[in-house]
Amino acid sequence: MSGALLGMGGRVVNAVLLLLAVVIMNFCLIHLAPGDPAQVIAGEMGGASPEVLATIRAQYGLDQPFGTQLAHYVSRAATGDLGYSFYFNQPVSSLILERLPATVLLMAAALTFAAIVGTLLGVLAAYRPRGLGSLLVTIVSLAGHAAPVFWSGLLLLLLFASVLPLFPIAGMTDVTRPLSGIDYVLDVAHHLVLPAFTLGLVYLAQYSRQSRTSMIDVLGADYIRTARAKGLPERRVVLKHALRNALIPVVTLIGLQFAQLLAGAVLVETVFGWPGMGRLVLESILRRDHPTLLGVLVVSALLVMVANLLTDLAYRLVDPRIRGH
Amino acid sequence: MSGTTIPPLALSVEHLGVTLAGRDGPLPVLEDVSFGVPAGRTLALIGESGCGKSMAALALMGLLPEGLRCDTGAIRLLGEDLAVAPPARLRALRGSTLSMIFQEPMTALNPVFTVGEQIAETLRLHQGLDAAAARAGALEMLRKVEIPAAAQRLDAYPHQLSGGMRQRVMIAIALACRPRLLIADEPTTALDVTVQAQIFDLLKTLQRETGTAILLISHDLHAVADIADEVAVLYAGTCVETGPASRVLAAPEHPYTRALLACSPRLRLGAAAAGPAPDLLEVPGMVPPLGQRGPGCRFAPRCELAGADCNHPPPLRPAGAGRAAACWRVGDTTLEAVA
Amino acid sequence: MGGNRSTLPAAPAKPASPAREMLRHFLRHPAGMAGFLILLAVALASLAGPGLYGVDPADMAAAPFEPPGPEVPLGADYLGRDVLAGLLIGGRASLSVGLAAALISVLIGVAVGALAGWFGGWVDRVLMKVTEFFQVLPSLLFAMVLVTLFGASLGIITFAIGVVSWPGVARLTRAEYLRVRGLDYVRAAVAGGGRPHYLILRVVLPNALPPIIVAAALAIGVAILFEGGLSFLGLGDPNVISWGMMLGQNRTYLLDAWWAVTFPGAAIFFTVLAVSLLGEGLNDAINPRLRKRG
Repeated sequence: MSGALLGMGGRVVNAVLLLLAVVIMNFCLIHLAPGDPAQVIAGEMGGASPEVLATIRAQYGLDQPFGTQLAHYVSRAATGDLGYSFYFNQPVSSLILERLPATVLLMAAALTFAAIVGTLLGVLAAYRPRGLGSLLVTIVSLAGHAAPVFWSGLLLLLLFASVLPLFPIAGMTDVTRPLSGIDYVLDVAHHLVLPAFTLGLVYLAQYSRQSRTSMIDVLGADYIRTARAKGLPERRVVLKHALRNALIPVVTLIGLQFAQLLAGAVLVETVFGWPGMGRLVLESILRRDHPTLLGVLVVSALLVMVANLLTDLAYRLVDPRIRGH
Repeated sequence: MSGTTIPPLALSVEHLGVTLAGRDGPLPVLEDVSFGVPAGRTLALIGESGCGKSMAALALMGLLPEGLRCDTGAIRLLGEDLAVAPPARLRALRGSTLSMIFQEPMTALNPVFTVGEQIAETLRLHQGLDAAAARAGALEMLRKVEIPAAAQRLDAYPHQLSGGMRQRVMIAIALACRPRLLIADEPTTALDVTVQAQIFDLLKTLQRETGTAILLISHDLHAVADIADEVAVLYAGTCVETGPASRVLAAPEHPYTRALLACSPRLRLGAAAAGPAPDLLEVPGMVPPLGQRGPGCRFAPRCELAGADCNHPPPLRPAGAGRAAACWRVGDTTLEAVA
Repeated sequence: MGGNRSTLPAAPAKPASPAREMLRHFLRHPAGMAGFLILLAVALASLAGPGLYGVDPADMAAAPFEPPGPEVPLGADYLGRDVLAGLLIGGRASLSVGLAAALISVLIGVAVGALAGWFGGWVDRVLMKVTEFFQVLPSLLFAMVLVTLFGASLGIITFAIGVVSWPGVARLTRAEYLRVRGLDYVRAAVAGGGRPHYLILRVVLPNALPPIIVAAALAIGVAILFEGGLSFLGLGDPNVISWGMMLGQNRTYLLDAWWAVTFPGAAIFFTVLAVSLLGEGLNDAINPRLRKRG
């Protein structure tokens, strides 16, 4: 484990630099966008009044030289100040923090579902290349890639709202019955099923495909022949010797696609009224609440980098060849 | 049939035939292959690439790749016919009574498990040892294959070891359950010359200790001359000559064996182990590819002694003193004259 | 190529040209051909369909929520607009944005990847840092920010999608350039003193191209999905009907008129599916190794 942690320091520094770059880019975007920067920051709905604009100019030091403004902007972001939402009348950071847990929960559920089911499907398909599992993987991976999440989400919503009312179709909790304790957890889990399934489907497709490919590769490897030459039962050859190796590229894929998963969550949240960052994005787009939108971008980048670090760590745990160096 | 008379045989392969399922019916890969490995001795299987040596080894292990099947003949290991044994029985024998080491030690070990785990796994599987006993057994095996600092190496991953060390680990896995037959498929081809000699020495030492019979597949005729007791020569999927190694290498009967040895001149002169092993030069012409083998003697197209009678396939016939050869010219005086 | 083979006993039959060989394999690839034909049908429908069908997609052609029937084959939406008419015209936006955005992303990606892979050293390090930066941002979210800040016109949407989705192509191109750079004929060309732009564009690019073509095909599908996502969230060009926009506008009335949501989504689905199949066919045609593996 300590060996796995070695060499992570460089990655953390890299992540901080990238985050800095995102903040600087946000600053540039505000200035590049058409219109007065103060107006851009205020947004259309919030800050038409001259008082608000004056406050913003003073706050952001917009009358000062460009370099000073940038330094100011960056140092504020460094202390966690992502600006103020004039629409919500709240600091952006607290707005996002409020919504963050719901999004993380949705993503974690979708990812777990996709990774486990996808890997199993892939293994099955690799083991019987001409079997039903393989056909299923092909269909699921093609369909999962091509179906827009907002559409598949709406179709599921249609199905479960009218035909098969098993799951709640909107929100995260039952607002009519305030619950607590285990009932609350179960209620949230119940609400989580459809959005997590919808979001997971896209990635299920990719993981099953990746795990099938890497499993086919691995099953042809010399060390699998060695395992068979040892007299191991076939199930052990596949589930122990092959799977452990086949998981390495799957872990890599999970890391690579985390950013896309986050973007997918935005769409899924809007479909199912899941009160996370995605809903916040939609609202801030509709209200032209630019500070919130840009803040979400920074926090997303931060999330992606945390996820990448975690993937890296998982990768080191799964693959001893990385660990040694 | 098989000319060897030295009993008892640990392994006896009789008229083994392996075919590849093809679009136009099965293609013969091995045909009428017969040889025997005496208990505690070493038989070397030699021949050019593509002659079916590795296929023969995989057939013995019951690990033929998909599409290939063993459909004629018998593979008797200590009297039991493996060719008709159910898969579960074969699996129980693999790794315990019958084991194998491969050509490429760099890729033959699983990269995500420690070498200790990989040796212990065999012991736990076949001898029902618990984790601690299997680990102790693995350590003992690492010592036996002369890996320095064995206790530390137990927790090393394959990528942390050199090629020679990895091949030693493979040998440790293969010999952990004291098999009666070890198949070594070109165990040193991928290694440095100095390491090659060490591995062969190790195999010899361990054979003396355990009494394991070894089926050695090798390109390296010097090594064959050095450690094999018996030799079987394969050409185009069939066995063309068998016999005691010293005699076959000193005075080959079959024209193919002669051509093969001619590519290794120093060996022919009897100066066996000295100097670096020369690469096996090509015998002029090519081994006929699968499905393009003629009806007669497979070697006839490349054979300078071929005549009209070679249109009929010659059977493996006794050629005196525990030897056998599949050639119409064997015993013919013209052979000596030309050579 | 065939000249220096005299050592072999028999010279193999003269191989067909690689391009022709690929075309032959593609034509025999059922999935690839199916994708191509679906795509062709979608393109023809959106080009000629509106004229032939003759219903104005903005008109109130029927009663709101009129289900599919003889009057409106695919039903009417909450404003009584003909869904089929919308689908036919909406294809234009989806396809053109898809194609143009994919082109932008491939151009940026190939330029970045080629320079990084060819020059290596600090050029590579800087360009890969930039690529990493773009990969850290969820691309759809980034595109939303750009469109929100700079305005929702078809041009800006196309540009935004192209600008956020090139890193994959860049990495692929870089890997190909690294591979091809080490080949003998490229070394010979370098030793012969070719100018960098000649080497990069004329010597290496043709050999690095096949996987890039496949990636480009797939990029079209991703761009169409992105356009759909942006329009769905209300970030599409308000003056141009697109499939995503139809979905976004009708989603509230899902339970009243499922057809107004289902069909535009299905249009996106089948178009992207066709692009994927096409990409699969191209990939298999270009890469004989995969062809065998099945």
